[in-house]
Amino acid sequence: MKAVVGGLGRWVTESIAGLGEMTIFAGRIVRALWVPPARGALIRSALFDSGVLSLALVCASGLTVGFVLGLQLYNTLSRFGAEESLGTAVGLSLIRELGPVLTGLLVAGRAGSATTAEIGAMKATEQLDGLRMMAIDPVHFVVMPRAVALTLVMPLLSAVFVLCGIGGAYLIGVELLGLDSGSYLANLENAIQFREDVLQSLVKSLVFGLLLAWIATWRGFSCAPHAAGVSRATTSTVVTASVCILLADYALTALWAV
Amino acid sequence: MAGPEGQSDHVVFEQVGLAFGRRPVFSGLNLAFPRQKITVVMGESGAGKSTLLRMIGGLQRPDRGEVRVAGESLADLDETALGRVRRRLGMLFQNGALLDSMTVFENIALPLREHTEQSEEEIRRMVHQRLRDVGLGDVDDLLPGELSGGMLRRAAFARSIVMAPEILLCDEPFSGLDPPNVSRIEALIVHLNRNLGLTVIVSSHHMASSLRMADQLCLMRAGAAISGTPAGLASSQDSTIANFMGEDGVSYLAGLQDQPSAGDPS
Amino acid sequence: MQESSGRDLAVGGFVLLGLAAIAYLSLQIGGVSLGHEGGLVLVARFDDIGGLTPRSPVRVAGVKVGRVEQIDLDEDLRAKVILDVDPGLGLSIDTAAAIRTAGLLGDQFIALEPGAEDAYLESGEEFMFTESAWNVDALVGALVHGDATGEDD
Repeated sequence: MKAVVGGLGRWVTESIAGLGEMTIFAGRIVRALWVPPARGALIRSALFDSGVLSLALVCASGLTVGFVLGLQLYNTLSRFGAEESLGTAVGLSLIRELGPVLTGLLVAGRAGSATTAEIGAMKATEQLDGLRMMAIDPVHFVVMPRAVALTLVMPLLSAVFVLCGIGGAYLIGVELLGLDSGSYLANLENAIQFREDVLQSLVKSLVFGLLLAWIATWRGFSCAPHAAGVSRATTSTVVTASVCILLADYALTALWAV
Repeated sequence: MAGPEGQSDHVVFEQVGLAFGRRPVFSGLNLAFPRQKITVVMGESGAGKSTLLRMIGGLQRPDRGEVRVAGESLADLDETALGRVRRRLGMLFQNGALLDSMTVFENIALPLREHTEQSEEEIRRMVHQRLRDVGLGDVDDLLPGELSGGMLRRAAFARSIVMAPEILLCDEPFSGLDPPNVSRIEALIVHLNRNLGLTVIVSSHHMASSLRMADQLCLMRAGAAISGTPAGLASSQDSTIANFMGEDGVSYLAGLQDQPSAGDPS
Repeated sequence: MQESSGRDLAVGGFVLLGLAAIAYLSLQIGGVSLGHEGGLVLVARFDDIGGLTPRSPVRVAGVKVGRVEQIDLDEDLRAKVILDVDPGLGLSIDTAAAIRTAGLLGDQFIALEPGAEDAYLESGEEFMFTESAWNVDALVGALVHGDATGEDD
């Protein structure tokens, strides 16, 4: 009993201490944004790693999700004779929820884990210490560009995902099942509002991007400096970021309605 | 063992204590590294040799006591202020620590780009000069992962001296190298010390090279250190030294004493 | 850094693609109008707008020509609906605005029925004739009870 309470106490203390360190770390990243030089080349290179390399995955997933949505919703809607609303149903579900959330999870698995692994490996092979010995701040040189890239990449990829999904459902609904193309698009455009739907989608994906950038860089930066530590940190990034994205999605959806 | 800080000491440890978790590494360590001399820190793995070098670079802060580099106590410095001290230091890491996403040229040029206003032309000249110093030719556009172990170590060496440091820290510079590369690195260290007057602190358990180039030896064991000149240690009656060096080491030290310009033993 | 120009190109293309996707979502699908000024703003008052909402479409002969911009209650407690309509239509001043439903349970929209006058509606003007939404409850009630007159007011 005493051991259980003690263990709980230690867990709480360590969690709070960990959160504190994470907050300080976030502060260092934000401060690094304003310190010259701006690290444009490094940010571009990080954009390539987390953005360009995730593009194919996001497009393929978006298209597939669109196919599935097209089939499922068409079948369901046709029971009520409301096939015409396919565009509405597909658009709303993709833009409000599926686009940002699925993109968040995909990018966490693809680019978030890669970011953690890369920073972790740099720590394990003393590259970060090497930078410090050259009087270069690793947060400024290594962490900040990757955090910026992960954050920026998310809304861009999410928008691409949504369009691929809408296109996928169009292919199924219009080309395969014979829905009228005009009514699909008109329903879609009529149902979607900028402030309620598109803006919510963009804000969500931006928040997911920030969360992922924070978690992925911190896990890499704070990992134990050996191979096992790096692999643990990489797994932890995917798990933590996924859970945080889902929680944040609920919170944002609830807040948006207020 | 270490005397009080004199003008001649470039790096000083005073009553330094450090523990990793519950494992104590140092307790009340006193050490002095003389200016413009080569000091070789020897000891078993886990004796804290690398940690010692990391503390000089401010990468590891002591729990207790003080580390002074060129008269400046590192304890009071934050990361920015440490940067000022670190610019006077060059550090050669055991596995090179070159950034593997950048070419060898960019790696060596990095400190110049970050901390100087030199033109691209000057940087190019400087980097190539350093690469020639370490005996590397056409490696500009290779990534560190494409180099052999010996070349990688030499490229890292070039980066550690590109800013013309006053103090050079070398963490296990000979480990995992073949004999030609060992003697090349050894010759480089000796050259930097004798001709350019760098203070060099080397951690190594490569007995032959260490003993050949050391002006001062520092033997570490169980968190404490004994330091002295190779000759002084050889004539000492302390059983720890004999234990540590083994038969061969002691006889080798004795040989050095008789014949200061020892040839290549291998 | 010289060899990175191909990468830079890829990154530039990626960012452009992402921004284009965001722009398409916002402008085309989300219906945000940038520097949209030529729209003809018209006012229509109804007793009952039913399920009409902002952004509901405005149609002439079934063709979408604009949308509902804003819905307020005026001082007489009638619904004041502000429409944004394509200015090039040439709607006569006796055009009627009616709230219609697409299908039995579909979304509601405003149908404009052009009149015969020569003068055209100008921005800020009000429709002379309007027709409120059909109240589905009343309609069903009328069918069930055989009261064909429904609500008459």
